[in-house]
Amino acid sequence: MIDLQERFIERRSFIYRLFLIYFLFGTFLLLILYQIFQLQISNYSEYEIAALENKTHEMNIQPIRGLIYDRNGEVLVKNVPTFNLISIPNKVNDPNSFIDDIRNFIDITLEEEAIFYEKFKSKARYNRELVIKRNLNEQQIASFEVRKHNYPSLFVEKRYSRYTDYPSILSHALGYIGAPSDAELSQILSEALHPRQETIFSYGNGFISGKTGIEKTFDNELRGKFGEKVYEVDARGKLLKEISIKSPEEGKSIFTSLDLGSHIAANKALNGRMGAVVAIEIETGQIVTLFSSPSFSINDLSNGISRDKFNILINSPQKPFFNRALKGRYPPASTIKPAIGIFGLENKLIDWNFSIEDPGFFTLPEDGRIYRGWKKGGHGKVNLNKAIAVSSNTYFFSLAYRSDINKLGDHFSQLGFGSKVCIDCFDEDPGLIPTPEWKRNKLNSGWSLGDTVNLGVGQGYMVATPIQLAYYSGMIANKGFINKLSLIQNQEDSFSELIDLDNFKELDWNKLHRAMTDVIDSPAGTSRRLQDLKSFKVAAKSGTAELVSLDSKEDYLLIRENEEQRDHAIMIAFGPMPSPKYAVSVVIENGESGGAVAGPVAIEVLKELIE
Amino acid sequence: MRLLKFKRFDFFYDSYLLISIIFLSLIGLIILYSASQESSAIIIKQSIFVFFGIILMIIVSQPDPAFYKNLSGLFLIFSVFLMLLTIFFGSEVNGAKRWLDFGFFTLQPSELIKIALPIFLASYLYDKPLPINLKDTFFSILIISISFFLIVFQPDLGTSIVVLLAGFYVLFLAGLSWRFIGSSFAIFLLSTPFLWNNLLQPFQRQRIATLFNPEADPYGTAWNITQSKIAIGSGGISGKGYGAGSQSHLDFLPETTSDFIFAVIAEEFGFLGALALLSLYTFILFRCFYLSLNARDRFCRLTIGGLSLIFVTTIFVNLGMVVGILPVVGMPLPFISSGGTSLLSFYIAFGIIISMASHKKLIRQ
Repeated sequence: MIDLQERFIERRSFIYRLFLIYFLFGTFLLLILYQIFQLQISNYSEYEIAALENKTHEMNIQPIRGLIYDRNGEVLVKNVPTFNLISIPNKVNDPNSFIDDIRNFIDITLEEEAIFYEKFKSKARYNRELVIKRNLNEQQIASFEVRKHNYPSLFVEKRYSRYTDYPSILSHALGYIGAPSDAELSQILSEALHPRQETIFSYGNGFISGKTGIEKTFDNELRGKFGEKVYEVDARGKLLKEISIKSPEEGKSIFTSLDLGSHIAANKALNGRMGAVVAIEIETGQIVTLFSSPSFSINDLSNGISRDKFNILINSPQKPFFNRALKGRYPPASTIKPAIGIFGLENKLIDWNFSIEDPGFFTLPEDGRIYRGWKKGGHGKVNLNKAIAVSSNTYFFSLAYRSDINKLGDHFSQLGFGSKVCIDCFDEDPGLIPTPEWKRNKLNSGWSLGDTVNLGVGQGYMVATPIQLAYYSGMIANKGFINKLSLIQNQEDSFSELIDLDNFKELDWNKLHRAMTDVIDSPAGTSRRLQDLKSFKVAAKSGTAELVSLDSKEDYLLIRENEEQRDHAIMIAFGPMPSPKYAVSVVIENGESGGAVAGPVAIEVLKELIE
Repeated sequence: MRLLKFKRFDFFYDSYLLISIIFLSLIGLIILYSASQESSAIIIKQSIFVFFGIILMIIVSQPDPAFYKNLSGLFLIFSVFLMLLTIFFGSEVNGAKRWLDFGFFTLQPSELIKIALPIFLASYLYDKPLPINLKDTFFSILIISISFFLIVFQPDLGTSIVVLLAGFYVLFLAGLSWRFIGSSFAIFLLSTPFLWNNLLQPFQRQRIATLFNPEADPYGTAWNITQSKIAIGSGGISGKGYGAGSQSHLDFLPETTSDFIFAVIAEEFGFLGALALLSLYTFILFRCFYLSLNARDRFCRLTIGGLSLIFVTTIFVNLGMVVGILPVVGMPLPFISSGGTSLLSFYIAFGIIISMASHKKLIRQ
């Protein structure tokens, strides 16, 4: 026992020490209150956002791609619905009996079953949808619909696929769609609201982007804007309920300047031969026909093609994927002659009355080398009009011989050669205007006069694409100016290209048109056989591009045994004269005679456009 | 301090404590209903515990303090015996052996030691002269150490620290010499690296490291504390409303019914709700403070002081963990968190406090 005095001391000590501990706890309480204050009041908004981000899960909704129309309002490319059978695994108790159940009314392949089992668990855990079967047919949809009340965890959903009714005729102009590359995908998603989020697909193929043609050039416009669906999720990421939805914005439709009918006509006229047809509306520079043959089905390519089928296409010697209209490189051959004529008149090397005697060949004065015409014995006395109508090589050899090669090159380039002529075409080849500088750099040899002489008949190093020939044809038809070519109507970015001429006047243009009309209408014209094919006047110039340089016709008869070495047939034309509306170019590979082979194709397309 | 006269027996109670604890228990049930995502099973079980807990508290407050003083040694020995049983026969959960399974009820003996140890020390030290001499100090420390080590190796760091503190509180209040306190604190500081490396389990070290750098690994060990802070912070001033806490209801917050239940309160009732709860706890503590100052003798003073300090320590360790200023250790929020033995242990503790406070000293000699 302790005494009273000590008891008093003890109590005082106790109180003192208890105070001390309570004081420490009081301090700690303030610390906790301060921390709660910091969390709930000072940094409230930060934590409110964190809580919101925790419980919400955004998903992008893929927009529907815009349609593509032709100039007359025909739908060229559309979205057709396909129907998928989709399950909600979170609501399914036993996946095995579930599949067996479905088998009673819809056939499920072993492969589909395997995919279902493989993905079932994770889809159930996160409450995601799982596609069981794609592309249901009408009978399958019907047999599901009558039973659907028994299957709350199953539904049929629409997923689109890209489709055209004219898969082969328009393949090169329209292009196909496919899975985007990583770079494309990040670009596609950068405009989505939540780039890294999951996407709810509206297309059976998932992410799609244009790969070639109009689908590629106008990919951004066609694509549309992503929508967004917001879900509430729990900590495991399981979707609980839909909170909000922002509908996607459908892609813009593209109203192209293409004319469906002219493509059908071109396809029919070309009949599977390798070649290209390009037609433009002269007044606007709009491309109405952009056809390349042979072709392939863009539906197959856009929506899945078997490997075998694809291998056949890609390995075909006819190169069906090659867009000859934009990328085919051909010597312009005799179709260049009007351009040489304009150059001669502009530079006062000749006038309309100037004539030469054509013995059937041209001798280069410097070395005596012979340059032959196509007709043995020649055309006699020829002026410019006759030289164009009968396609006298000798006339243009001698005119080119007197031309300055650098000035001639500039002239060609003003006519659209050597550079791209279309502002919205996919992957256009610029062709080539050979210059002394180019030859030095590329072939490491000097420019010879013979090179210039060859250029007078469009042979040698110069190459042009069918679309350049169509542009050139339109430029002549429109008397020296034309809009840059475009594939869409109401092209706002278009601008006019003007050829810079001082001495070549309106009267000269009319005379040139007359000469080119004579190609068909004059009894001596190279394409006089086309006269009866049409009811309107057409100005034209044919060409036959030699692939092998030869000295005589007999030599050609030998090499033509090999089809690949046969000449290309080329035609440029515009009509109806005297006020032309459409200009066209036709190239038929190994078609031999421009007037006889390419000519009828050009006439058929013009007929379709004009009539 | 009231004494109701009945014909047959006296009824001892303290209305302030009784009412506030019953009130707190009811609030706990309401919050638990939301925190358990409206689980009726958990609420029924907890209601049973609360009901019997309150009865137990009232029963425990009836005997005279002398009863506890005389039997405190037996209580402690019994608790240690149960602890030893746990070591050999305990059921293992998450790598820790803490529970004795009696089929209908699992007992956590460490919760009993938490009460038995301070009462025993109070009964041992109540008649020792000031300052406590070395022999008694070392004996007390020996008892504390045995209790501590039995628990720390379960492993249960949280409870063992509370037991350690419980022993120390009584020893300190009883008049432990300042010189001893000073020198042992110096030794503790020097041996900290040793304790860190040898006493703590790797996951416990990880938890302490997480406290100081929670952003380092938000989806790993820091997940709990990050989600708890988000829950509290997003509650704002007035909260999201009862049952409307997204952090707790969508499973972002862990252990919503036990360790992290305060985050549920803060999320759903906001700063005002948190303040109200803390006020209620503070009221109980002040009442205990008042009662211990006016206790009838030294034994009662030490017991009330020791037990109420365990209560406040438990609260603060829990709150400190939930708000992110203390490491994550398993520690319930008294009278709110679900749980068997720990809940009952606080009813028993307050029963004893009421007993110590309401029995007036009989006039002797």
